[in-house]
Amino acid sequence: MSKDPAAPTTTKLPSDARARTGSDRENSRTLSGLRRLGGPMLWLAIGAPLLGGALLVLQAWTLAGIVGQAIEGGTAVETLTPSIAVVLGLLLARAGLAAIGDRAGTAAAEAIKSLVRQALFAHLLAGSPRSANQPQSGAASSAIIDQVEALDGFFARYVPAMVQAGFLPLAFGVFILPLDWVAGLLFLVTAPLIPLFMALVGWGAQYATDKQARALSLLNGRFADRLRGLTTLKLFGRATAETDGIVAASDELRRRTLRVLRIAFLSSAVLEFFAALGVAGIALYVGLTFIDFLHLRSTALTLELGLFLLLMAPEVYNPLRLLAAHYHDRAAAKAAIGEIEAQLGPMPKSVASLDLPQPGTGAGALGLKLSELTLRTPSQTRVILQDAALTIAPGEHIAIVGPSGIGKSTLLEALARLRPHAGEISLGGQPLAAWPEADLRHGLVMLGQKPRIFAGSMADNIALARPQASAAEIRSAAERAHVARFADALPQGLDTILGEGGLGISGGQAQRIALARIYLRDPGIILLDEPTAHLDADLEQLVLDELLTFARGRTLIIATHSLAVAARMGRAYRIAGESLLTTPVAARAGRSVA
Amino acid sequence: MNALLAFRGLFARQAKGFTIALVLSLIALAAGVALLGTSGWFITATALTTAGLGFNLFVPSAGVRAFSFIRILARYGERLSGHDATLRLLTDIRAWLFTRLFPRLPLSDRSLRHGDLVSRLTADVDALDTAFLVAIGPISAAVVIGTVLTGILAWLLPAAALVYGLSFGAAVLLVPVGLVLASRRAGTAIVTRAAAARTAVLDGIEGHADLTLFGALGDTQARFADIAERLGAARGRLATLTACAAFGVQALAAIALAGSLWFGLRAFAAGQVDGPVLVGLLLAVLGSFEASSLIVRSVAKLTTAMAAAERLSAIANAPITIADPAEPVALPASLPIEMTDVCFGYDGGPPVLDNLDLRVMPGQHIAITGASGIGKSSLLNLLLRLAEPQSGRITLGGVALSALTQSDVHASMALLSQESPLFNDTIRANLLIARQDASDDALWSALEAAGIADFVRGLPRALDTLVGEGGRTVSAGQGRRLCLARVLLSPAPILLLDEPTTGLDRAAELAFFALLRSAAVGRSVILVTHAAIPEGTVERVLTMRHGQLEPAEASLARVH
Repeated sequence: MSKDPAAPTTTKLPSDARARTGSDRENSRTLSGLRRLGGPMLWLAIGAPLLGGALLVLQAWTLAGIVGQAIEGGTAVETLTPSIAVVLGLLLARAGLAAIGDRAGTAAAEAIKSLVRQALFAHLLAGSPRSANQPQSGAASSAIIDQVEALDGFFARYVPAMVQAGFLPLAFGVFILPLDWVAGLLFLVTAPLIPLFMALVGWGAQYATDKQARALSLLNGRFADRLRGLTTLKLFGRATAETDGIVAASDELRRRTLRVLRIAFLSSAVLEFFAALGVAGIALYVGLTFIDFLHLRSTALTLELGLFLLLMAPEVYNPLRLLAAHYHDRAAAKAAIGEIEAQLGPMPKSVASLDLPQPGTGAGALGLKLSELTLRTPSQTRVILQDAALTIAPGEHIAIVGPSGIGKSTLLEALARLRPHAGEISLGGQPLAAWPEADLRHGLVMLGQKPRIFAGSMADNIALARPQASAAEIRSAAERAHVARFADALPQGLDTILGEGGLGISGGQAQRIALARIYLRDPGIILLDEPTAHLDADLEQLVLDELLTFARGRTLIIATHSLAVAARMGRAYRIAGESLLTTPVAARAGRSVA
Repeated sequence: MNALLAFRGLFARQAKGFTIALVLSLIALAAGVALLGTSGWFITATALTTAGLGFNLFVPSAGVRAFSFIRILARYGERLSGHDATLRLLTDIRAWLFTRLFPRLPLSDRSLRHGDLVSRLTADVDALDTAFLVAIGPISAAVVIGTVLTGILAWLLPAAALVYGLSFGAAVLLVPVGLVLASRRAGTAIVTRAAAARTAVLDGIEGHADLTLFGALGDTQARFADIAERLGAARGRLATLTACAAFGVQALAAIALAGSLWFGLRAFAAGQVDGPVLVGLLLAVLGSFEASSLIVRSVAKLTTAMAAAERLSAIANAPITIADPAEPVALPASLPIEMTDVCFGYDGGPPVLDNLDLRVMPGQHIAITGASGIGKSSLLNLLLRLAEPQSGRITLGGVALSALTQSDVHASMALLSQESPLFNDTIRANLLIARQDASDDALWSALEAAGIADFVRGLPRALDTLVGEGGRTVSAGQGRRLCLARVLLSPAPILLLDEPTTGLDRAAELAFFALLRSAAVGRSVILVTHAAIPEGTVERVLTMRHGQLEPAEASLARVH
């Protein structure tokens, strides 16, 4: 996929060469910031294994005691039975603590992920729907679903493992030091060295992980995009070529993932190596002391103590091995944060509420006044209007005509506060920007050129405009928009389930379903973008009749190509030469006017 | 589980990689057990020895070192080869799915939403990797280690062999099976709820403007919060079950160790076993449970993989509603279209086409008008064999449509449908979909014919401009014309144009009709439109009414 710096889709995608060290630290900070969302469960996840570590020392001590006394001291099994029961009890208690810690870690991670998802989704919806920074939907859903999922391991496993690794080896070392200074010293010196080596290896891993996260995003974005037009691709005979493309992208992801893993696994191998050296060193030291080759201790070494040291040796390194095993989780989480922020902008601090307050009561027809209005195309490359002016009285019906691509839709979207503009738009005597969102959405409705049909029934789609509408009200709106005509021919009528994006209905039908939404509202101004684009001449007139009845006493602005539509409006304007000019409309109905 | 087994053929293709991973993991586990065992034996033996410096240090200490290194290297190799094989498997699965998906288009399951489909092809495919890498491999390795160690115990410490064998067997076989059975529902819930969450996000983005305009963002947010919480709850349930299973495995390990200890000490007291051997075995028992602890976390993911496999199978094994003939007839050179007595209706609905007849000779241009939603698009779908008529006969070049391969049918017709998409790619790439080897000149003349060449020429990067997802960076009318240019570029001898001028103003519409004649000269054209068609645009105008085609009233065809 080639990239175009001018296109909005790429402005939010920083290049692979993005300054990594800086953003890496920021990603870590963002992750740490999210930690507080985990609440008490995260503390439990951290605390339980620490307690388990303390019990472990007791367990090893008791076990070594039993074996030492039985083998070296010849103590009878019956005498040792209570101790064996203690070992069993300790093992069970540790198993319980581990299970509790695991479960609490998941609970904390789930709480964090759920909040992060909601915050990201709210942040996404809070932005302007027509902002050039709106992410590609496939990539955005991948960020909110897949990339957020990649934070799981960090909170559920890495954070508890990190605390264990920082605390337990040192605690074990300090405990062992007075019992045997050589072993204690060996543990205390080697354990802190290991994370150092790992950090060295981990640096490389982070870079590779970032690239892998990007490849995953690209692959998911590609899937989402291609799946939308699968039938088109099939009809053009592109099935094989597309499959090959998917295989190539998938293989690229494999190569990048392996590059990450090779380094990640290397860091575990480095650690295993030092752990093995430690265990082998202790075994050799204990063995050599027993056969009197080494004389580093002032007192004789008992089998009991020797066994204890041997049992503890792997355990000293175990928290570090655990950390290494989950080190990849940290790299993956940091890469995920980077990818999320690249797609959706900085991580929001909290879940913004998008609930609107109750709007004030309807203010009747709303007039509109534009002065010195300057508008640009979405990609900012072309000026649509320069210092345009227009006054529309409350209740007036206006058509905006002009060739396609001239900017009619952009103008309507600016009037609906979906797009930024320069200059002044005043609605009902109040600057557009000063309208509270709730009041604006109550007083103004707009039907776009490609209205979205959501997966659900036809009735659900209409009720989007007023969720509490009764079945009768929905029915009446459907009739006014001439939806009922085709809906009634279906076995389930208005309850027919529509596919996402209006799958299974024609463009004209989708348009009318969206139009029906308007009849559930009580707006002071109505903005319509090509409401009859898919309709034949007869139906167009019928739809218009109903619309004009509804729009009586309301301001109505229709952007249209259809002269038949324009002819039925009070006045018409066209966009030409970067300004709005009045244009005569033939006072005769008939679409075929050329 | 059956759904998962359906993928075994694809698993088998990576058998070599998986076998290497399995062998290496066995070596790593065995070396780990041997390391602890040898160390235990070694220090106990040195503690008890009276030989002093005469004790043979070299063999055991070399063993300890060797086992350590073997373990490290084997573990590294196992992880790499296992992951490589898994990732290759995922690529194979994706390719396999796509090859299965294309013949099943358009999908008959209307409820299958875009977001859900994306989820299936990305997250669900990824979930399958766990099936081998983290479940089957470790379980097989654990079973081998457990059996070998039980055998060694039976030989050296028979009293402990039973308690160890039973505990270990339960830990690596019973607990995982129990976990899988118990977590089936949670696994399914996770997969479906994750897909629902993805669909909610996609719906939110793609319907963002409408949701904003109707002040419905608050409701959308509340619905998403609900889905996110429910996804978390399902994962939480699985985590609870996993934690219980992990506890079960650890408890069994505890019983095995305590049992071996008790029986071992009795055997030692009875002189049936040496001290060093006993300690070595006890430590080996302790070490062997490393193998079983890995299993639980892996098996927890198995149910998710099973649910994912079921969802994938649902697509991959959906019935092929329209199949190619066993012995297809070659595509004739000349391609007249003939529809005779064709009846068609969507399942359960009233008939859309009712004994319809249509004849289009090669090179002929016709237009079909009629009210919106009356069945004009359905007629085009029948011609492309995207749907089958309930009765009647459709022939292409005198051959029944069902006797030709679909790829031949599709190659002979190019469709501009009402929902023709632009892909998130450059204008050039979007056009080349129609004809891979088209030259730039061909691209420009197609753009010219679609009346959009000037617009493209005016873009800073011309043909290399990205059009954004769904053509977002261009207006609806411009997007439509780019799709039209794509169809005109195609080498197909028949063009099916469904409302090609939607989104065009009247002037552009007329310009298009004027161009169509010359742009499509020598090709058949079926133009479906509700726009008034200037005289001379096409040779024949038909109106669809009551499921049949009749000649349009003279007045409609004769406009200015």
